[in-house]
Amino acid sequence: MEYTPSELMAVSGARELGDGQVVAVGVGLPMVASLLAKRTHAPDMAIVFEIGVIDSEPVHTGVGLADPRVWYRATVLSSFVDILGTLLHRGRVDVGFLGGLEVDRYGNLNTTLIGDPKGEFRHMVGSGGANDIASCAKKTVYIMRHEPRKLRESVSFITSPGYVGGGKAREEAGLAGGPSCVITDKAIFGFHPESKRMSIRSIHPGNTLEDVIETMGFKPEIPDTVPFTEAPSPEQLRLIREEIDPGRIYVG
Amino acid sequence: MPKVTGLGEAVASIADGAHIGLSGFSIARCAMAFAREIIRQGIRNLTVSQCVGAMDADMLVGAGAVDRLIYGGGSLDRFGLLANVNAAIETGTLVAEEYSSLSVAFRYLAGSLGLPFIPIRSLSGSDLLARLREKSGSDVATVEDPFTKVRWLVLKPLVPDVAVVQVQACDAEGNSWIMGPKWDNGELVKASGRAIVIAERVIPADEIRREPERSVIPGLLVSHVVELPFGAHPTSVYREYDYDSRRIEEYVEAGGSRDAFRAYLDAYVFGVKNHREYLEKIGGRDKLESLRADPVLGY
Repeated sequence: MEYTPSELMAVSGARELGDGQVVAVGVGLPMVASLLAKRTHAPDMAIVFEIGVIDSEPVHTGVGLADPRVWYRATVLSSFVDILGTLLHRGRVDVGFLGGLEVDRYGNLNTTLIGDPKGEFRHMVGSGGANDIASCAKKTVYIMRHEPRKLRESVSFITSPGYVGGGKAREEAGLAGGPSCVITDKAIFGFHPESKRMSIRSIHPGNTLEDVIETMGFKPEIPDTVPFTEAPSPEQLRLIREEIDPGRIYVG
Repeated sequence: MPKVTGLGEAVASIADGAHIGLSGFSIARCAMAFAREIIRQGIRNLTVSQCVGAMDADMLVGAGAVDRLIYGGGSLDRFGLLANVNAAIETGTLVAEEYSSLSVAFRYLAGSLGLPFIPIRSLSGSDLLARLREKSGSDVATVEDPFTKVRWLVLKPLVPDVAVVQVQACDAEGNSWIMGPKWDNGELVKASGRAIVIAERVIPADEIRREPERSVIPGLLVSHVVELPFGAHPTSVYREYDYDSRRIEEYVEAGGSRDAFRAYLDAYVFGVKNHREYLEKIGGRDKLESLRADPVLGY
């Protein structure tokens, strides 16, 4: 069955989530991936949104977290302190699921600005709950477009820390957890257990290793064998297309 | 003194240079009529704080009413960026202190509890923290946990002069129900010196007393109560009305450009005398009825 790169990204994201987990999610593809996981292998997963929403069951696609469409049929409607405080800061969020403008080889994520923070720059969104999630979740998963300007040797601004300067730098900053993988429209990356450098885990069918590397802003670690990413199942595609994002707002 | 006043009187209680905390999140429950009236009255040099920057703050910044913004980043969701805030940061006309959602919420929480500071796991290892240390060294610091000897990042309480909160319903004393997620509003109100409540409906105290567990804001913290249907337009109020996509798109098109935004303000702020005229201008009763929330869906 034919599928788009965004659909494979959403399916790959869903595979990172396990049943019974608590998952903190932002807007866009992370939301699609989480809803897909919940409707397939992880029915008892709880999806939480930073503004105070637990486990909603949207029937219409929303424009973002502020849209009551994404709060529909929630089990709890509360607050930042409730979700980001008593769940996330308390250590009860298993997976944080984030998108971003730029990520570097150590998984540091930028959603704040593009350019030179002390000179010319364009300010974008900033953190929202992203920094909190990246700092406090047991692990984080990123979803981004695969472009040289998005996968950078170093980012313009570290909004949400990954492994900071690599090695033990994240631990030394007092942080546990860290990014476990980066899902792009060409490949999935993990992080080397010691150096914490980004390392290719799999490449999506239809891409070559050369193409994946040439369209990045840095050279990732390349293991001896690089498998292809598993393709989406017809049922996963049906759920995305017919139930989760029928207007194709997020899965372009 | 009766607390129920018109919008003009409530807004006139805000001094130039005051620190106000606003109830909006992106395009939800924003204090839009309040922001328009602040601009009409020419109140300036404000400090605005908000866990996540929203349309109310962006409009005030675009009108030049804000000197300092303490926030956790923000956008207008899929409609676009906070173009006025971003432009003011880029040109240096706005002092922006950027945190994360939880760090601003924790600062309000510390303020609401009367604590001297609050430890937090967020911000460490980020450039947000590096910039905050450069800009406002006194609002972030580290201390040693006396029990474990671990060093913690700590934040100073955030205590606005006035919280301005858009709610679904309240009584004449300001005892307020907020339906749906409350994001930072509970901690914001309790941290602030006082609160102005802008309600879709002012209801009898007996109704509040029948379901007091819905109250989020105790009236004893409220100085002014303003009854103002559609006071958050073009943003949404859960279970009351949906956001007005067309009017938000119009706002987004004007944002960030000095001339275009001035034209927007001329049309929707200076070009109307009050909220009633504003509602007529955006389409009146027919338009407003079309935005009414479905009671089951809430939007």
